[in-house]
Amino acid sequence: MNLQVQQIDKDLVHNFKVIGEIDIYTAPKLKEHLASLEHAEGMEVELDLSEVNYMDSTGLGVFVGFYKEVTAHNGSLVITGLNQRLYRLFEITGLNEIMKIEQAEGGEDDASV
Amino acid sequence: MGHRSSIDINTEWDIVAARQLGRNEAKNTGFGTVDQARITTAISELARNIYLYAGRGRIEIEPITVGQRVGLVIIASDEGPGIADLQKVMTDGYTTSGGLGAGMPGVKRLMDEFRVDTEVGVGTTITATKWLH
Amino acid sequence: MPKEAGKRYKQMLENYLCSKGEEDLYLGQQFSRSFIEKNIAPEDVISIHKNSVEELIEDLPADVSVSFDFLIEMMIHYGLALKEHQSLIRKQESIQMEMDIAVRVQNTLLQTTTPEVTGLDVGWISKPAKQMNGDYVYFLNETPNELCLAVADIIGKGMSAAMHMSMVKFGMDSLRYEKRNPSEVLSFINKMIEKSISDSMFISMFYGKYDTETSTFRHSSAGHEPALFYRAAEKKFSLLESKGLLLGVQEEAKYEERIVRLEEGDFIVVMTDGVTETRTEKGFIELDILEELLLDVKCERAQTMVDSIFNELSKMQDYVLHDDFTLVILKKTN
Repeated sequence: MNLQVQQIDKDLVHNFKVIGEIDIYTAPKLKEHLASLEHAEGMEVELDLSEVNYMDSTGLGVFVGFYKEVTAHNGSLVITGLNQRLYRLFEITGLNEIMKIEQAEGGEDDASV
Repeated sequence: MGHRSSIDINTEWDIVAARQLGRNEAKNTGFGTVDQARITTAISELARNIYLYAGRGRIEIEPITVGQRVGLVIIASDEGPGIADLQKVMTDGYTTSGGLGAGMPGVKRLMDEFRVDTEVGVGTTITATKWLH
Repeated sequence: MPKEAGKRYKQMLENYLCSKGEEDLYLGQQFSRSFIEKNIAPEDVISIHKNSVEELIEDLPADVSVSFDFLIEMMIHYGLALKEHQSLIRKQESIQMEMDIAVRVQNTLLQTTTPEVTGLDVGWISKPAKQMNGDYVYFLNETPNELCLAVADIIGKGMSAAMHMSMVKFGMDSLRYEKRNPSEVLSFINKMIEKSISDSMFISMFYGKYDTETSTFRHSSAGHEPALFYRAAEKKFSLLESKGLLLGVQEEAKYEERIVRLEEGDFIVVMTDGVTETRTEKGFIELDILEELLLDVKCERAQTMVDSIFNELSKMQDYVLHDDFTLVILKKTN
């Protein structure tokens, strides 16, 4: 299983694009990438998951940890490009109520099925 | 008590000189080919650690006699960064997994006695002894 | 170095030099085991060989003899690697023993027994993917006319998951004499674990309370997989969903509470994502597959139902569990 993380920073916003599957084997890699960010006050981070077709609870754990870190520094986190299955995961876990998440356009088609 | 000879470790070539000295001393003390190779490997690893982590230091080699027993003592000393977590460094698999060589547990196995004195920011002295059986 | 081994080696080598036969090679191979048993290092074996060759072969070229010294040098690290390997194996054995003890302790601490409830047939199964289970089924029935059920799934698996689960269990136990509703229990557990859980960990939990007098099931969810509810009269499944955040993410969290009434033949299926994330060759199973399987066995006892679903789903993934698997069925009898 493979995971790629690309960082494309625009202005003051840190943009990450995650490609692949986020599971117990690849989650540490993602965590490392996110941890390498310096936690400046009020930083803005955007995570694009449009090319992530699978994520398990370990992956969710990485986002929860990162969310706590960012909000502790009065920053903001936006997660975009969620496919339907991923969106549902954020919905079930109630994380959509506290995090800013955006579903992919035409989110009906789900690549993992 | 024999004489103590020493080699300063400043460059990678000094490691070779330390090996040569160690092998000669081991041979003169009466060690067989295999033990000569073990002692030399131990010296090599200790000298290499000095070169890699402290930059400079010294290897001293001294034949000793205690009662009936004859042996060889190696003292590797440096004034480098010291070892913060000695327990970790002495754990099997800690350094070897990174391909850094035999590591400290390896040196300990090659010799009969092994002792580390280290202080962070002050330096490290390792004393290792091999007895002639 | 044992002289005896050297002598025997020389003898065997001499035989082989004379015969060049397979039989002597076979004897040599057998003998090599005793080298390992006696802890004779590879470099010692080369040295034994060198000495034997020097004694057996007249006019051995000096360079050949010296070349063995080179080989001895080469083998020192192999010898060290072997010793290290042996030491790591011993260490692994002792860790395994510790692990076995931990599993037994966990099994004792987190023991679940099937409750007896009037008019309710209860079946459950919880299988760990590895040694330690990160899923947990908890029943509380202080009185025969009430049953509390919690199904929890902790992120991650193994040892740390099990340790956190013990905390949750004791949290729930501490509430056993207080008549608390599901949403209150979840808020309490959330507050309790939020303080002690690490940043990227969390627990999802479904909590329900069944009242035999009214045949109602009151339920809340902390970020847990929705339960399935089968209505026999309509022959249809629906999802028991209620809003609520995972446990351990935020100190203050509100949990929605919902209520359903059960008629005879109705049943509720509570599960963890080890069930819904059953992976087959074609991808994940969909909920309708699970529903079909449930319909096939809906007239069986609740325990037979869960066992059968587990068998079917594990067959689908070639009997390899990727995640801890937990399934609970509460079925109204009369």
